[in-house]
Amino acid sequence: MKFDYLKDLLGNRFLEEKIDRLQYAYDATQKMYMPDCVVLPKNTEEVSKIVKFANENKIPVVARGCASGFSGGALNIDGGIALSMELMNNIIEIDLDNLIATVEPGVVNYDLQVKLKPFGLFFPPDPSSWKFSSIGGNIAENAGGPKAVKYGVVKDWVLGLEVVLADGSIINVGSKNVKDVAGYNLTQLFVGSEGTLGIITKALLKLHPIAQGSQTLQATFYDMSLAAKTVSDIIKNKIIPSSLEFVDHQAILTVEDALKANLPTDADAILIIEVEGSKFQIKEDVEKIVQICTENGAKVKIAHSIEEEESIWLARRSISPTLKRIADGKLNEDIVVPRSKIAEMIKKTQEIAKKYNVLIVNFGHAGDGNIHTNIMYNTKDKDEEKRAYQAMDEVFDECLKLGGSISGEHGIGITKQDYLERQVGSRTIQLYKQIKYAFDPNNILNPHKMKL
Amino acid sequence: MDERLKKEWESCVKCGLCRSVCPVFKELRQEPFVARGHISLLSEFIKGNFDFDSEKSKDYLYKCLLCTTCVEACPNDSGTDTIVEIARRRIVELHGLPLYKKVMAKILLNRNLMDLSALSANLLSVFLFNKNTNTSRQSNSLKIKLPFVDKDRLLPPLAPKTFYHKYESYGKNAKISIFPGCLINYTYVKIGDAFINILHKLNISYLIEKRASCCGAPIYFSGNFDDAKILAKRNIDLFYNQDIDYLVVLEPTCASMMKFDYPKLFMYFDDEEYIKKATEFAEKIIDPVKYLYDNTDIKDRLKDTGLTVTYHDPCHLKRTQKVKNEPRDLIKHAAKFKEMKEADRCCGNGGTFSIDYRDLSLKIASRKIDNILNSKAQVLVTGCSACIMQLSEALHIAGHDEIKTLHTLELIDKSLGG
Ligand code: SF4
Ligand code: SF4
Repeated sequence: MKFDYLKDLLGNRFLEEKIDRLQYAYDATQKMYMPDCVVLPKNTEEVSKIVKFANENKIPVVARGCASGFSGGALNIDGGIALSMELMNNIIEIDLDNLIATVEPGVVNYDLQVKLKPFGLFFPPDPSSWKFSSIGGNIAENAGGPKAVKYGVVKDWVLGLEVVLADGSIINVGSKNVKDVAGYNLTQLFVGSEGTLGIITKALLKLHPIAQGSQTLQATFYDMSLAAKTVSDIIKNKIIPSSLEFVDHQAILTVEDALKANLPTDADAILIIEVEGSKFQIKEDVEKIVQICTENGAKVKIAHSIEEEESIWLARRSISPTLKRIADGKLNEDIVVPRSKIAEMIKKTQEIAKKYNVLIVNFGHAGDGNIHTNIMYNTKDKDEEKRAYQAMDEVFDECLKLGGSISGEHGIGITKQDYLERQVGSRTIQLYKQIKYAFDPNNILNPHKMKL
Repeated sequence: MDERLKKEWESCVKCGLCRSVCPVFKELRQEPFVARGHISLLSEFIKGNFDFDSEKSKDYLYKCLLCTTCVEACPNDSGTDTIVEIARRRIVELHGLPLYKKVMAKILLNRNLMDLSALSANLLSVFLFNKNTNTSRQSNSLKIKLPFVDKDRLLPPLAPKTFYHKYESYGKNAKISIFPGCLINYTYVKIGDAFINILHKLNISYLIEKRASCCGAPIYFSGNFDDAKILAKRNIDLFYNQDIDYLVVLEPTCASMMKFDYPKLFMYFDDEEYIKKATEFAEKIIDPVKYLYDNTDIKDRLKDTGLTVTYHDPCHLKRTQKVKNEPRDLIKHAAKFKEMKEADRCCGNGGTFSIDYRDLSLKIASRKIDNILNSKAQVLVTGCSACIMQLSEALHIAGHDEIKTLHTLELIDKSLGG
């Protein structure tokens, strides 16, 4: 039989019954593509053998971590092998001398943070899915999160990788050295490559000391453009918050409906601002921020306990998963614009929403210009669905006009591949293809993603 | 099937958040053992794209504690417990029930049969929600070999007299009726004793309706909807027209079943009349601790017992019935209270889950031990006898028999004094 080799290799960690394939057929895009089989390797050697076998038999291989991605990176579009990294979830080493963690890709981001905390360390990238997304997935999608405004995104925290190439060979790129200029910077090429160039089997992650303290503020605005101005004003005053998030009116309504958290439903926008540092630094920053917010007409609430802080963040983190309450279909975009252009972009989305008569919910990372634009539609209403796609098209156009990007952190996958060329140009796409060919001549690694 | 029921799974957006909370997934770490996996299977089944014919169906769908931790955490209120139960019903249709669950259903359907033999009753206490006895109190290790039950397992001592045999309705114009639940009726009668004592001390009249049937939870949770429906109807018919303010259900799982699952069960069968009756009936059902807290001056009467106490939240009390602060507040008046970390983490009992997957069940229980110890409490209090069984066994295995377990009602009774 076709997969006998894998069956012998993996025993009961090889799955091909429908009941199993079905549970590895989806991710958070809610789309379904059935793989022909599922494999759950436990170590790099097994991954290498699986990929080598797939390459020799020209069978697609799609790596998946926790399947919480929003761009379809974990979907087996063309069937083939679903390579689940769920069982490769060991934290191999926490090197306190060099502040580096060595982990397997299936480690959940949050589980790593829990292990690091007693040492006073953390791994800064914190996607909203941090409690249920894997480090491997975070790297493959070059994920960001609220802390990106201060700490950057995954690419800024990966020093090296162990990767299984399409022919099954195992390579190590990068090293524990912060300075390392030997050869091409392949580490950074693999980060964000969405499983198309190789399978990440180990990662060296840079760690950062946890700040002495932090404080969270919630500022409520009755005018979106003043909220956007506040963001610019804060940065202009040389304060770099560790998070600077915004939630628009529609998003407030949705979360309030789900959580009953006493949110100001009459507000136009909420900013959630977190600053960290020494006590003194925090006090200074908070005072300044409160002043700026108030000058811009906001009501400010300062969290004084962990519970109050948690409740502010819970509201923010719950938006994306609760959107289904509005409509069962959504085009979940994560455009970025230079942060000075946020207000303009939000205004544009509102105009577009009106033009196409659809509902658009915006929230996201104001501090780095990353806006989660959710275009809502009823899946049973074909006309509305069509209008939603038209609106999305125009949102992308406007975003590019403002010097933005069509994806800040979710990745391209299948959901945005048709728009990629518009942003990067045809020559660049051609170059992608050449790179892809050099790594994976048979196109077995996550085919049909990113136009590859 | 009633359209309202479909929302339970159609609401899922496959975000994966449930992977961060499910106690079973924490141990097994594979998609088939988490809410999102269960939901995907059921919704594909409903759409006609999939059926539970694989032998693996049982492993995947019965390895769920029905603890509703995922339901509580889910941003879209997906009802994984209901989903798993419906999937199990299909599995029963295709694969049948294991012999012991068939026997269980036969016995639970018939109270006389239940009462008849000590053996069946002793067996029952295992079938219902349970585990061993608290070895620090009087205990019987299993002397006779019973089918389906591990030999090394400690069984709770069987009460010499059941709750229903021991007590009659009391007082005039009673506005509450007491439903003990099988486990308290046959085994943990002392918890029932405590509640009766409290009512007498407060001078509250009560009814005890001896014709009541088992609530049906163990049967329903197994996927045996037809027999569960018979029991549900019997209980609704019995209590529906009674002139009472509350039906005080001592076991949280029974309360949860009657309050929240009865309406869903009838939605499954599209039985409009009983959906309506069950929904109305649900409003009268209340947990004893909440009843005392909301309707009496119990708080002012409590005296310090001098004990240092920590509290475990039973899933079917905190998550489904949303009773969380009431017991804590009462405990604070009766003892020195120490909140433990993750007090609401499931104990891993899960009814027949603890029979079918004993090792996994104990492993989940053992995750609570450190938190209990770190609280530095002498006594672990909780509001559910199944949790008491499970956690006292876990404490025993960990070598910590010095920590006693008590039901909230027992602590209250103690605190009220002679
Ligand atoms: S059950 Fe809820 S938490 Fe789990 S994937 Fe579905 S929507 Fe997310
Ligand atoms: S009910 Fe409990 S055991 Fe079952 S899927 Fe939900 S969290 Fe997991």
